[in-house]
Amino acid sequence: MNIDDWKSQVKRGTLEFCILLLIKKQPSYGYEIISTLDQYPIIAAKENTIYPLLRRLLKEEYISSCWQEGTEGLPPRKYYSLTAKGEEYIAAMSVEWDNLLNAINEIKGEKE
Amino acid sequence: MKKILDNYLEKMEKCLRPVPVSERIDIINEIKSEMQELQNNGVSDEMIIERLGNPKDLAKAYLGDLISREKGFSWNRVLIICAFCSLVGFSGMVVIPCLGVIAPTFIVCGAVCPCLGLIKLINQIFHLGLPFADHIGIFVSESFTLNPLVEFILILLIGVLLFLAGIAAWRLLVFYCKKVSGTAKRIFV
Repeated sequence: MNIDDWKSQVKRGTLEFCILLLIKKQPSYGYEIISTLDQYPIIAAKENTIYPLLRRLLKEEYISSCWQEGTEGLPPRKYYSLTAKGEEYIAAMSVEWDNLLNAINEIKGEKE
Repeated sequence: MKKILDNYLEKMEKCLRPVPVSERIDIINEIKSEMQELQNNGVSDEMIIERLGNPKDLAKAYLGDLISREKGFSWNRVLIICAFCSLVGFSGMVVIPCLGVIAPTFIVCGAVCPCLGLIKLINQIFHLGLPFADHIGIFVSESFTLNPLVEFILILLIGVLLFLAGIAAWRLLVFYCKKVSGTAKRIFV
């Protein structure tokens, strides 16, 4: 049984969705996103995954970024926020996600 | 900021040289920002370095993503692939330079071939007597020379084939880089 392999595949498929959902909730910076994801082992990921992914989402214009000057000992932070295109993308992903959950639930129900 | 953190950022910046300056500075600033966040949370410099991992690997993650994102053939893309190659390791040291040389060479030859063919054709039709034009062409034997028009068409065909071969080598190169980039793999961690 190789559950880790399967888990990483799940992570690969859902990390983008999770990051966009986080940014939708409130504009956020890289370290904050990584720390939040860290609370959930199934989608926790390291810097070398998250930052390039954020950069790609930025290039594809699902998110936008804006540097905020550091104040009172806080470092400058690069905040990411969702664009209109990103909103659409999340909406489409949400529909498919619900489809997936429904499908799994139904199939599970039939077997019991 | 302590020296080991500065060193880390410096190493990363070196690896990211093919990335446009503004983007590179942005990448470095973002990592620097995270280092400061971690310091504020009382994480030691050594732990920060450990958390971020090898600076080359972190740079590689960015480069790998860039390679698969950009489309088409551009000089900048060649540079990115070269930088990436230097980080990939042994197989990359052989495969990437070979394909990197083959692809542009074939593409250029494919373009030059029909041009030369055309020069010879024009030379023969108008009897211009251009120097060295007789050296261009397909050599069959001393006694047999091809019809100029047939020869030109053959040259054109060879040019197209060379060009396609060049494109194929380029595609293979990009495919290889994507395979070894590890951006896909690292997400499995």
